[in-house]
Amino acid sequence: MAKRITIDPITRIEGHLRIDVEVDNNAVSNAWASCTMWRGIEKILRGRDPRDAWMFTQRFCGVCTTVHAMASVRSVEDALKLEIPLNAQYIRNLILIAHALHDHIVHFYQLSALDWVDVLQIPKADPAATSKLAESISPWTRNSRNELKAAQDRVNAVAASGQLGIFANGYWGHPAMKLSPDVNLLAFTHYVQALEYQRKALQVVGILGSKTPHIQNLTVGGVANAIDLDSQSALDMTKLEMIRDLLADVVKFVQQVYFVDVCAVAAMYPNWFSIGSGVKNYLAVPDLPLDSKGSAYDLPGGHIRGGDLAGVKRFETASDAAFRQGVTEDVMHAYYQGEKALHPWQGETEPAFTGWDGEQKYSWVKAPRFNGEPMQVGPLAQVLVGYSQGHALTKKYTDMAIDKIASIGGPRATPAALHSTLGRHAARAIRACMLAELAQKHWQLLVDNIAKGDYTVHNQPVLPSHEVEGVGTHEAPRGTLSHWVVIKDEKIKNYQAVVPSTWNASPRDRAGAHGPYEASLLHTPLARPEEPLEVLRTVHSFDPCMACACHAFDPSGRKIGVAKIL
Amino acid sequence: MRTALIGGIGNVLLGDDAVGPYVLRLLESQYSFEEEVDLVDLGTPALDLTHQILGLRALILIDSVASDDPPGTVVRYGKEDILAVAPAERIDPHSPALSECLLTAQMLGACPEQVLLVGIVGAEYEAGQPLSAAVQAAVAAAIEAVVSELSEFGYSCQKKAGAEPAGIWWSESRSSLSESSQI
Repeated sequence: MAKRITIDPITRIEGHLRIDVEVDNNAVSNAWASCTMWRGIEKILRGRDPRDAWMFTQRFCGVCTTVHAMASVRSVEDALKLEIPLNAQYIRNLILIAHALHDHIVHFYQLSALDWVDVLQIPKADPAATSKLAESISPWTRNSRNELKAAQDRVNAVAASGQLGIFANGYWGHPAMKLSPDVNLLAFTHYVQALEYQRKALQVVGILGSKTPHIQNLTVGGVANAIDLDSQSALDMTKLEMIRDLLADVVKFVQQVYFVDVCAVAAMYPNWFSIGSGVKNYLAVPDLPLDSKGSAYDLPGGHIRGGDLAGVKRFETASDAAFRQGVTEDVMHAYYQGEKALHPWQGETEPAFTGWDGEQKYSWVKAPRFNGEPMQVGPLAQVLVGYSQGHALTKKYTDMAIDKIASIGGPRATPAALHSTLGRHAARAIRACMLAELAQKHWQLLVDNIAKGDYTVHNQPVLPSHEVEGVGTHEAPRGTLSHWVVIKDEKIKNYQAVVPSTWNASPRDRAGAHGPYEASLLHTPLARPEEPLEVLRTVHSFDPCMACACHAFDPSGRKIGVAKIL
Repeated sequence: MRTALIGGIGNVLLGDDAVGPYVLRLLESQYSFEEEVDLVDLGTPALDLTHQILGLRALILIDSVASDDPPGTVVRYGKEDILAVAPAERIDPHSPALSECLLTAQMLGACPEQVLLVGIVGAEYEAGQPLSAAVQAAVAAAIEAVVSELSEFGYSCQKKAGAEPAGIWWSESRSSLSESSQI
């Protein structure tokens, strides 16, 4: 019965991120990001009722279900010029915030912490000393000697079993690992605790969305949550209080643990503030609308060119004309037919697979461009766009991070140092703190609005018979997401999703400009090219959205280190 | 309180990858289960699968699998078979993570004792296409495998007198689904 096969079949179906790097003198001299993705899925939406699109787009991806559902209803609402009742905005915002907090915690602890934390050093740690150290940097109450000892025992048990189990893939003992045994233990203890708080954030999504992993409460024009403070079958005070309590726990974890751990890692790996910058054009859209029209937001948007923070340009709305007009997709190096870079409303998705050729076509991802240039998206873009506009909440947590890193013995970073691998991690933690604060604000806004007697959750959409176009955006955990819809005769005529990882994992365009992953890897030093931990650190810092296979070539083109990386 | 989970895994938009959620919905429409048994369309959950399985006694998953067997073959994998597949290098949060989630649960001392993966060997994974003929023909055998193993695990279920609509919304016609709100 026991036959060795691939049990995780979707890896070959849903798409992989593949990174090719050339290594010269122990540093990356050239890089290609290529992916197989689900772009063809957009075609199945043609001819469908636009009010149904979100149910399908929610299945684009198993991790980012909610965000694709949200961008989809927003695109149709934009096309129909439909306003959204306040309650619906707040409920949506709470779902988006809870999803993002969950996602950011998972990203740091489960996806990337073990790039910096050497689990096999943990048996050497002293839980009492670790507890003292932890108390000196955070008020978190779960840094006790007992809690730390319990985490250490878990590692000891796995190590004693003779099989590394869940830790089988780490780069343990790699010369790029720099943390002391005590700091490794502290971070690992939080890795275990993080699972509990992720779950609490998911519970918030589940209560408001009726179900996870696929929420059920969205509808074009609002939400389907009935509000009745006295009815258990509706959104009542009991459920609202549960949400408040769950959020309070998650907020505390984000601000006292996640944020502090990222600052500690940053303090102890200071050279990573000067590695991994790459594309310094940044793009973020405004999100978390505060009114029914979508004219005021809690998260600002805009764009920055060439790292010039002072020259930031602001987007006033989530479908700002500059954004609507500025986006194109280029397929020069992607496996699609077509000559010109096209606007998403005119977008085509006709495959032309050629096999990987780094000089010609090499990726299933199109190359999105804004005003013709590659853009980096994600928490770093959002933080820089906000900071450079003097956005108070962004400034508050960015300055707090800079102070915290310095107080733990790290360098006093400037916002300019954020153009880096560590900068992306720091920005994600800064954004998580902002969202944590906003979670509580939007909960209060919802409760206050209901208390005024407003129970409205939905405006009825009316589909016109003439052709209309819309864009729905969301500043998702991995950055700017936009769904573009063309509606004619009450049916979808065209649909394109320009997702955050398309911006970041973009291949070169016809001008030869690298995408952000590619550019960020250039010049990265590698201590052991056959174990390219440093490449993974930078790729992970973007929070990539696809399964990834990494190949390392030496300059003669011979593959090295493939076995280890695959 | 739920102690057993039957989960359908797969992307419903990608041909035979829909078979996990498809079989799950047929099970729901054709059988009633005791309260301790929960049925969930998990989609493609990756690392979040951990949250679904922590502390369970029994776990049965249904998924399309890649193997050398002909399409439509139903293959059962036990806990040891799954754990023998070392987790792949993790670069993104999307990669499927079955063995990884079981190992995480094991490290936390909360791994289900009984684990079964009912795998159906797929043929086509084309966007927007229905199940291939070979996989469609295997659906009944997959349902039978889940029902018999659930009983082996000590849980009960009863065949309903009349099956309810299965709610395979993704393969329904292009009229408005919003009215029926089957998610």
